[in-house]
Amino acid sequence: MLNNFVKSNGRSGGRSRERSEQETKISEQSQIRLTNLVKTYKSAAGELPALNGVDLEIYPGEFVAITGKSGAGKTTLINMITGVDRLTSGEVWVDDMPLHKMRENQLAQWRGRTMGIIYQSFHLMPSLSLLDNILLPIDLCGLYRNGESTRRAMDLLTQVELQDHAYKPPSAISGGQQQRVAIARALANDPPIIVADEPTGRLDSVTAESIFQIFLSLVEHGKTILMVTHDSNLAYRASRTLEIADGEITTSNLSYNERLN
Amino acid sequence: MMRPRWQKVLADLRGNRGRTALVIASIAVGLFAFGVIATLYLVIRQDMRGGYAAIQPANIRLRTSLIDEDMVSSIRKVAGVKDAQGARLLNLRLQKAPEEWITIELNSQKDFENSNISKLSLEEGTLNPSKRQILIDRYKLPDINAEIGDLVAVETPAGQIRQIELVGIVSDLTNGAFSGGGGFFLSPVQGYVDADTLEWLGLPLPDWYDTLYLTVEGDGMDQSQIQAVADRVRDELEDRDVSVTSLATRRTDDHPNSPYVNAISSVLLLLGLFIVFLSTFLITNTLQALLQQQVEQIGIMKTIGARRTQITVIYMMLILAFGVLAFLLAAPLTSWVSFQLMGFLVYQLNFNLLGFRIVPVVVIAQALIAIIVPQIAAFIPIWRGSRLSVQEALSGVRQGATKARQASSRGIVRFKLLSRPLLISLRNTFRSKGRMALTLVTLSLGGALFISTFNVQRSMANYIEQISQYFIGDLNVTLAYPYRVEKIEELLSPLDEVSHVEGWMTARSEILHQDSSTGDAVQLLAPPGGSQLVEPKLLAGRWLQPGDQNAIVLNELFRSTYPDLQVGDTLRLQVNGDETDWVVVGFFQFAGQSAGYMAYTNAEYLSQLVGLPGQAVLFRLVAARTDLTISEQEALGVKVQNLLERRGIQINEVEAGLSVSQTAADGFTILTAFLLFMAILAAIVGSIGLAGTMSINVMERTREIGIMRAIGSSNGILMLMVIIEGYLIGIISWALGSLLAFPISNLMSNSISLALFEASTSITYTPTGFLIWFVVVSLLSIGASVLPARKAANLTIREVLAYE
Ligand SMILES: Nc1ncnc2c1ncn2[C@@H]1O[C@H](COP(=O)(O)OP(=O)(O)OP(=O)(O)O)[C@@H](O)[C@H]1O
Ligand SMILES: [Mg+2]
Repeated sequence: MLNNFVKSNGRSGGRSRERSEQETKISEQSQIRLTNLVKTYKSAAGELPALNGVDLEIYPGEFVAITGKSGAGKTTLINMITGVDRLTSGEVWVDDMPLHKMRENQLAQWRGRTMGIIYQSFHLMPSLSLLDNILLPIDLCGLYRNGESTRRAMDLLTQVELQDHAYKPPSAISGGQQQRVAIARALANDPPIIVADEPTGRLDSVTAESIFQIFLSLVEHGKTILMVTHDSNLAYRASRTLEIADGEITTSNLSYNERLN
Repeated sequence: MMRPRWQKVLADLRGNRGRTALVIASIAVGLFAFGVIATLYLVIRQDMRGGYAAIQPANIRLRTSLIDEDMVSSIRKVAGVKDAQGARLLNLRLQKAPEEWITIELNSQKDFENSNISKLSLEEGTLNPSKRQILIDRYKLPDINAEIGDLVAVETPAGQIRQIELVGIVSDLTNGAFSGGGGFFLSPVQGYVDADTLEWLGLPLPDWYDTLYLTVEGDGMDQSQIQAVADRVRDELEDRDVSVTSLATRRTDDHPNSPYVNAISSVLLLLGLFIVFLSTFLITNTLQALLQQQVEQIGIMKTIGARRTQITVIYMMLILAFGVLAFLLAAPLTSWVSFQLMGFLVYQLNFNLLGFRIVPVVVIAQALIAIIVPQIAAFIPIWRGSRLSVQEALSGVRQGATKARQASSRGIVRFKLLSRPLLISLRNTFRSKGRMALTLVTLSLGGALFISTFNVQRSMANYIEQISQYFIGDLNVTLAYPYRVEKIEELLSPLDEVSHVEGWMTARSEILHQDSSTGDAVQLLAPPGGSQLVEPKLLAGRWLQPGDQNAIVLNELFRSTYPDLQVGDTLRLQVNGDETDWVVVGFFQFAGQSAGYMAYTNAEYLSQLVGLPGQAVLFRLVAARTDLTISEQEALGVKVQNLLERRGIQINEVEAGLSVSQTAADGFTILTAFLLFMAILAAIVGSIGLAGTMSINVMERTREIGIMRAIGSSNGILMLMVIIEGYLIGIISWALGSLLAFPISNLMSNSISLALFEASTSITYTPTGFLIWFVVVSLLSIGASVLPARKAANLTIREVLAYE
């Protein structure tokens, strides 16, 4: 169903296929590395530590599920990895980029090409058609080619089975459909990493399952995926599960595949 | 295909049409107001000067004993004289209605069509009257109820009635240029006839000129050069035994009504500044509101890779589009309205437009403003928005900003007495302090301008009332010759309607300079000592007292032209050809510069001086009833006239007392009308500001309204909340605007009266402006809140929650 999602000659795609042949033996070098990461929110009530010195390594091609109680710090952790919020202390490395040292502007372009971000509340541009929503990141990251880009965006929409709605505004389609558009948008620049914060949180179990299937096929194509979820069944099927409580990683379970082995 | 980022700009423009219209309207109204003001300011002055210079107005007018064409030819040869024109001026009576006669000033010269001095402009008919035909100036034409082809009756100096045909309507831009005591607005109907007609009316040829009009060599802009030529011509005339009774000079670019245009210009300049200021606030406010709604989208764009500059450029393009659309709307409207308005001014201020045209400076300035001001106004919110971290933008919560918000809601909760919706409205109103401040400044300033124009109008009206204080009395009867006051009193005594008669003396005089050359004409008015019919406004010194001999009180024009002249000084005037000395005892304020030089002295002294003791030409009558209307005064006038004429008294004119202030008011009507237009302009800017801000405030909360409804709030309560909030902002802005109106009124009325009267007047405040604006604010603030709120209430909750 998702054969064309990722360009077959893509850098990460190529490498990951080799890796998937080796089956699960996680590669030499980590793709995401957090060391002693601290995030403290300042508010009227005083300082609130949301992350207390997190150390974490994520390898290319991993499908990591993040779970934990509400308020545990999952979103905060995701925000640190995507660089959409400023950390308090510690280091965040993605490949060889030190996010903790980078400026907003550098981050923006880098993020646009490296990470696809998916939110629980879709966050589509309300005034743009679905097609334009997908084209926008391509344009903003300077990869826009007339015609070619539109064809790619249309392909992505077809992959999520929304090609018939291409010219509708986001308000005219259902939540599950909006989430699929958000996924298509996250893939627009063919980023190696996909980060999703409760992507199925607002969806019924059948729709949630179809979204999860998309993620699985993305992993198959070599993408690294981080997904926050409350659904333990979904988390269980990821290659690794992290549980967060009170701003610390409490458990790091082995993957489904390893458990199978 | 258009790049997606520009697609986003286009979608923002098209997506929310109501909002786009509001933003464009708020920019366009500022551009329009600025454009109209700038066009008027530039074109009126230019055209009044240019149009006046184009008719080659006389620089010098001499009133002389009778002279002939040969004399005019020899004057033409005097050094410095460019051209000379002989004319005869004559006041006659013209029949307006069966029982109603008014004064007409007849101007007679050899040829009007090929004249090189003070050329008439043809409005309708011909410029070439033959015998028994007359041309009339357009301004006072309505006073005589006649059209081209009509016969009008005039009374010859010998008392015969002659029918004369109206063949042309003209405009004489020099009307009022040399009249000592009236100016354009106070001058009588102007008629133009040729020599044959004059002879037919009973004036013998060939020595028929009593007036010489001259233009000087060069551009005629140098007052001292004009004066030198005038002195030379007078010497030349006197050498040839021609007596010169008066001499007046005027620069080629100095239109008689330029003081009014200066007054208008000064208001324009002030208002222009305020309006530019106001529009900038309006634009800033509107764009800030707009960008406030875009914060989440900025966050989204950042997560998908947009750099800060890209976001900035996207929004700058959006705002550029607003600016360009507003410019396209405002620019043509500006030209059209400006020239429409000037069409009105042209007639009222007696000048000719040099033609409809687009004023490039104004259009360029508008284009620049349309492009630059919105960018400046939006720069800070755009920059700030683009600087928000993605996290902040998406959640709509600024880190560290939670403190103030919590505190403010806690503060409100203390007002336990207030109802829940009112509390929420109150909190909403003051939620965003910066925006609130901007809104209030914009609305208050617009309101203040509106209110101020009414106060200024009121002050002007007061001024006119003040002028009528110099003409108290129900009837002014001007006789053809001086008569004994006692005789007139006796003749009028059988009339019960008349309670009191005063005989005034008048005389024309000229200022005598140190070198014994004569200067401008001064109208001497002499009420009997202790007269109750003048209530002067003194600027310095005192008024006349009974028994004063050569005491004289001067109007404000003396103060501006002879600043050294003080109370206690001696002024030398030529009265009836004699040199006389007068002691200045005071200065009074009259109708300002265009009224010419006026002076009051006691009748007893002046009549003695001119050799007519106990006599008078001007009679002021007071009716027994104190509250006559103007038509009752006129009716009484007819009665008085008939009575006196039956007794063989020759009458020049009988004038209702109220008509004096009415005539004086004409000069201000134009200013009043103009101020009204400005008030409307200010109201439009203010109203669009108000409506726009309110609607955007409500639109911004569409989502919030949806959530409130979803959690069970009824539409009634929601509407109430929105109305209370809108009304609260409206009323606060009204209160602030009212306060602000005081200094602004003062500033405006001072700048007008400085231009007109060379003195600052006391401002009078009227509740009218305050009340009208209150009503406008109430209606607009409620209307502008209810409409978008209704729209929000009609959306389904799903639609609202999906709302951007
Ligand atoms: N902007 C903020 N300001 C202050 N405190 C915050 C802010 N955002 C989150 N927090 C706090 O930080 C802690 C972690 O929040 P976070 O959003 O990461 O939780 P979460 O695990 O994603 O929860 P959920 O499952 O409900 O989404 C919570 O206690 C929360 O109250
Ligand atoms: Mg969360």
